[in-house]
Amino acid sequence: MRGLVAILLAIITGLFCAVVTFLPPIGDVKNAPHQHVTPTYIERSAEDTGSPNIVTGLIIDYRGFDTMWETSVMFLAGLSTALILSNNRCGRRPIEEQEIEEGEIIK
Amino acid sequence: MQIYILEAILLVFLICITSAVIFCKDILSAAIIYCAFSFCAVLLYLMMGSPDVAFTEAVIGTVSTIFFVTCLRKIDRWCE
Amino acid sequence: MMSEKFGGIVLNVAFRLLVPFTIVYGVYILCLGEFSPGGGFQAGALLSVGVVLARLVLGFDTKFNILGETSLILAGVGTFLYAFTGWLTLFGGAKFFLDYNFMPIKMEPVHEMHALGIFIIEIGVAICVMMTIINLLEAIVKRGEEPDGDSK
Repeated sequence: MRGLVAILLAIITGLFCAVVTFLPPIGDVKNAPHQHVTPTYIERSAEDTGSPNIVTGLIIDYRGFDTMWETSVMFLAGLSTALILSNNRCGRRPIEEQEIEEGEIIK
Repeated sequence: MQIYILEAILLVFLICITSAVIFCKDILSAAIIYCAFSFCAVLLYLMMGSPDVAFTEAVIGTVSTIFFVTCLRKIDRWCE
Repeated sequence: MMSEKFGGIVLNVAFRLLVPFTIVYGVYILCLGEFSPGGGFQAGALLSVGVVLARLVLGFDTKFNILGETSLILAGVGTFLYAFTGWLTLFGGAKFFLDYNFMPIKMEPVHEMHALGIFIIEIGVAICVMMTIINLLEAIVKRGEEPDGDSK
């Protein structure tokens, strides 16, 4: 069984490596997104957004809705970490009940 | 052409650092070697032409090392 | 570790020199990030590094210490500032979220309103990121200082 899983994993990894070679090369001007979207942004972002930096205008103006949810995901991550690491016991069973239950299971 | 050679050296270095982090028995050493991983990633991002991502990576690498060392207070330093 | 002082004289002197420059650089990146690589996320990370380093040097005696609940509330305020700007444009009559042409403050060239909206949003993102990182440190430190009870 383990040998079969290993062979399957090897085949999937080989397929991944084979597929990666079909991707367009990095930085090629003839790639599909570099034909229409990128020149439009480069030409119009300064007068559209009023920001000299294209990246800032792109992230916060054209893709502003996306960045808002990224910020909320970050806030939720911090909130859940604080909740997990805090040691309050509300919603958890007290220790004595657990011990009694374990004793019953042993009997 | 030379920039590709430098990039390849950095990528090999990155793999070596990652294996060192995985196989290190001392967790404090692993946290500090992970700092070197972040530094190599900063250089790679700079070569790929994105200085803002490199900047973020440098800052976050510093902060995460502080977090790891703080977490080490609760657990044992050595693992078998 | 963090509630009292940490490290020796070398660490203290080095970090005492580093902290003000870090905070000033963070504010610079927040305000002038449009002209250089930078923005809200980077500025927030730098400001939080300033607070965390001050925490490392001085412990709880730092002047700008931010506690756990305060940092969590302020992170929510930062996220709310972002969403509130979007709602302001919606109330002004925009057809979709974050359309800066309909900001309530009218300025003559249209892209000035875009710049104002971008700046407000950058401040919101910076506050959220800074307070989230400080909150993570606070949670880890608080967990580490408890007696070794039910952590297993």
